[in-house]
Amino acid sequence: MRSPEAAVPLDAPFGPLLAKELREMASGRPLWTMLLMLCPLVGFSFFQAVSLYGETSATALTSPGLASALSPLDGVLVPTFGGFYVAVTLLFPFVAIRVLGNEKESGALRLLIQLPYRPPTLIGAKLVAVFAAWLIASIPALSALAIWEFMGGHLFVAETLNLVLGHLLYGLLVGAIALFAAALTESAATAAIVTLGFTLGSWVIDFAAASQPDLLGWSSRLSLTQTLHTFELGLLSLSLVVGVLAAILGFAALAAIWLPMGATVRIKLVRSLICLVATCLVMVAATQIRWSADATEDRRNSFSLADQQALAHLSDQLTVTVHLAPEDPRYADLRTSVLSKLERVIPRIVIRFAGDQQSVVGSASDESYGEVEYSYGGRSAVSRSTGTEEVLPLLYGLANVPLPVPATGAGDYPGYSLVAAPWIALPWFVGGLPLLVWVAWWRSRRAPAIKYTSSQKEISREHLT
Amino acid sequence: MLMRSRMPDKAQIATPPASGVALRVDALTKRYGPQTALADVAFTVEAGEVLGLIGPNGAGKTTLLEAVAGVLPADSGTIFWHGAPLPPALRRRSIFYLPDGLRPWRDQYVERVLAFFAGVYRTSDLDVADTVRAVGLAPVLNKRVLALSKGYARRLMLALALITPHPLLLMDEPFDGFDLRQTREIMDVLRKVAAQGRSLVLAIHQLLDADRICDRFVLLAEGHVRGVGTLGDLRERAGILSGGLEEVFLALT
Repeated sequence: MRSPEAAVPLDAPFGPLLAKELREMASGRPLWTMLLMLCPLVGFSFFQAVSLYGETSATALTSPGLASALSPLDGVLVPTFGGFYVAVTLLFPFVAIRVLGNEKESGALRLLIQLPYRPPTLIGAKLVAVFAAWLIASIPALSALAIWEFMGGHLFVAETLNLVLGHLLYGLLVGAIALFAAALTESAATAAIVTLGFTLGSWVIDFAAASQPDLLGWSSRLSLTQTLHTFELGLLSLSLVVGVLAAILGFAALAAIWLPMGATVRIKLVRSLICLVATCLVMVAATQIRWSADATEDRRNSFSLADQQALAHLSDQLTVTVHLAPEDPRYADLRTSVLSKLERVIPRIVIRFAGDQQSVVGSASDESYGEVEYSYGGRSAVSRSTGTEEVLPLLYGLANVPLPVPATGAGDYPGYSLVAAPWIALPWFVGGLPLLVWVAWWRSRRAPAIKYTSSQKEISREHLT
Repeated sequence: MLMRSRMPDKAQIATPPASGVALRVDALTKRYGPQTALADVAFTVEAGEVLGLIGPNGAGKTTLLEAVAGVLPADSGTIFWHGAPLPPALRRRSIFYLPDGLRPWRDQYVERVLAFFAGVYRTSDLDVADTVRAVGLAPVLNKRVLALSKGYARRLMLALALITPHPLLLMDEPFDGFDLRQTREIMDVLRKVAAQGRSLVLAIHQLLDADRICDRFVLLAEGHVRGVGTLGDLRERAGILSGGLEEVFLALT
């Protein structure tokens, strides 16, 4: 037997801990159950998406103008990953909670926290296991992309990777919240309620508050699903990525704070407060980052290249005063078509609402309601348009800049029509893939090779030979 | 292939002295609301000795072990390790606590649980195999933890504790789940462990078991220490000329 040491150094290797976490995750049924449920869920989403895309493509064959509006991102990728999103929202919390909650309920955590690892290392290993679980869970959705390619469908790498990144960040955020909930609560059931409170609460916020003014509307920005929405639009926003990463690390840090049993609640509360403040500061700082990239092939989040170059040279501050209520659909159009694009390209821009308490109903008698005032270099102009065709010439006029000449031919999005038979994917999603999942689950449960039964002499002989 | 080293060089260099006070618990107090679970508990543990923590149910034995191990925050009191204060965050460097009734990582095979601990503490395969043989765990290495009987689950826990290199092991009811013969086998194992220089603190409610294995005793009742010492010391304190631990226990608690 092993002889004692004076003191055990806190530098245990990470490998055994990570291997244990991965084995724990793989040996539990929640992951495999989720995967089995994902197969038909994603399969049905893909089937529906390809069917509708095919019908639209068939129409586009007779009216070529329609073809340029056909984007696989909107038509196939986002709907297919929609099924995955539902599963990550509703089922993935149970997989992530198990990574910690199981040890808490069985008492194994009392052994784990005595091992020579710091709490952040323990939580870090669990977060890696959550990441691995997400990777495994994403197999049905990723396989759908492969089938789409096999069918002859088009995938634009940048927008596809951007969408996958968005889902990854969303999954890790849900996982980090689940770890925090598991560390905070005594039972896995309570942790599940807390986590689902976050994920389902986001849906409630989205539906109820997104179009509301004031604090309610602002709170909709905290919704987890808003995180994903930007990526679904094909926009890679550094501000959003940094903000979500800060939230993930913040929840993981909170989990690490609440993990040790030896610290008093008061100490944990103080540390949690410091962690919250630090996370909020990073998230607020992240909102100041303006860099973003349009990952879409059709450049839907940008003006034309000529306009982008011309607008990027406007060095003065552009002030946009909007006489619209935030919940007004015209504002949503203006935001999507003009304002968000201007924010990305003009170096100094301020966008504000004209009144603090404007609402669609209350402002009906206001004659200026619906106007958008653009001020640049001491000059102002007013427009009621929500489209670029009227707004951009107006801006060029304010800045005394000639209208840019659009490049001919370059950058035109051709559109990708495809009339495919979606049923060929069904055998994979309801037969092949579930069978592979079952085989993988069965293999993960196999007993290991036994190496500790040999006597000392036998082991010595094995080592010497 | 060369034979792997039986233990790291630093372990050979840093082996603690086999005598002297290893652990000193001073005025340890723990309250749960108005209830005092531990009241100014104080005792010492010598290097290489087996100390029995004796007391009726609800005496505070588990609370005391957890507070000493640092997995439960104490309200006041100090733990000294070889004369120097040992803060809770550093206790796991010197102390390993084996809770009672655990069945950790239920879905894993016994072999893998042992391999996990061996990997963490860089324990050689030889030492793990020795431990497996010593605690009689070989027949269930390819079984899942959830499928183990109570006795084998207890053996697994003991094996995990013995794989660690900590100089002080705290064990809560280490003989629970064993029959008489098995208890004696495990006692032999623990005596050998103590002979290697490790200190053991065992919370035991079976006084006969405690009498057989422990060098000294801490008698705990209602969170108060009623007596510390060898059986002879405790007899003297209780004013009993003869009799076993049971008589002393009844007289002092």
